[in-house]
Amino acid sequence: MKVFKQLLILLGINFMGELLSHYLSLPIPGSITGMILLLVLLFAGVIKERQIAETADFFLKNMGFFFIPAGVGVMVSYQSLEGRYVQTIVAILASTLIVMACAGLVTQFLIKRRKNHDEVSD
Amino acid sequence: MKFLTDTHLFGILLSVASFYGISYLRDKLKATWLNPLMSSIALIIGLLLLFDIPFEHFMEGGSVIHSFLGPVTVVLALPLYRNRKLLKAHKFAIMGGITAGVFAAVASVILLGRLFQLNELLERSIMGHSVTTPIGIGISDSLGANEGITVLSIMITGIFGVIIAPSLYRLLRIVHPVAKGIGLGTSAHALGTTKAMEMGETEGAMSSLAIGVTALTTVLVVIILQVLGWY
Repeated sequence: MKVFKQLLILLGINFMGELLSHYLSLPIPGSITGMILLLVLLFAGVIKERQIAETADFFLKNMGFFFIPAGVGVMVSYQSLEGRYVQTIVAILASTLIVMACAGLVTQFLIKRRKNHDEVSD
Repeated sequence: MKFLTDTHLFGILLSVASFYGISYLRDKLKATWLNPLMSSIALIIGLLLLFDIPFEHFMEGGSVIHSFLGPVTVVLALPLYRNRKLLKAHKFAIMGGITAGVFAAVASVILLGRLFQLNELLERSIMGHSVTTPIGIGISDSLGANEGITVLSIMITGIFGVIIAPSLYRLLRIVHPVAKGIGLGTSAHALGTTKAMEMGETEGAMSSLAIGVTALTTVLVVIILQVLGWY
């Protein structure tokens, strides 16, 4: 019973996300609108963590499985990759390095700056 | 053969069998490098090609699994909510670091894409490579890109991020636990978070927080680019 109740809440939020995205002509997919909606409802206390925890954790823990069909979809679009395999992979790897470096360095810089600032004002 | 493969059952059975089989092998052989999602995709594509089974047959069941991406995306709000207290301590540093990372991701994909002369479909497909998979697929869809390439780019990103993080952090002297976690979570999503958890508790928690914030920030940046008509 509990599983169905939790699933009903999650699917209901997903459905409302789809409705909002469609009728408000939001440029984001309904599932992401649904995620934002759930976040808002959790913070507002309308939905409690325990009302969705088990079912949500099932999806979170086994997420990978649900991406299989999307991944297999690469087999019908390999033409756009033709002759560009190496360049695409190099671009992904380089971009990953840049993102990790930027996020890490900026975070560290901001933490240190605040610490120095606090020390000076002390 | 058609009567066996042209059914809903076929794609579902194949996906469950591959995912379970590879996960079982990984645990049995303690082969942590074996990624069940990547391996399942490779195995299924291999089998479809080998037995000359059309992709459309696989997708009859595949689309059933695919439709669960909705709730899978919605539940991403929960880890973000659970980590809410962590955000408070270093609010500005965390938000600043993640925002910098997201801009770096979008800018580097566009620049590298032009540099390597990737076609527009490819460029759009790898736009969300640092984002957690369900959101990456969502971004890919809204950009009219290819989901398959997106999923693979996200997997490559995650695996590479895990491998490269320790050396990159040493090289750039990134030593603060919060910065290490944010770096991994922003660039390498959930896979990076497994590495961050190995590094320490703070690193792991920060990384897991960064997954959700990065996803939402990237969605926002892509919308802004679209509204500005740049994309």
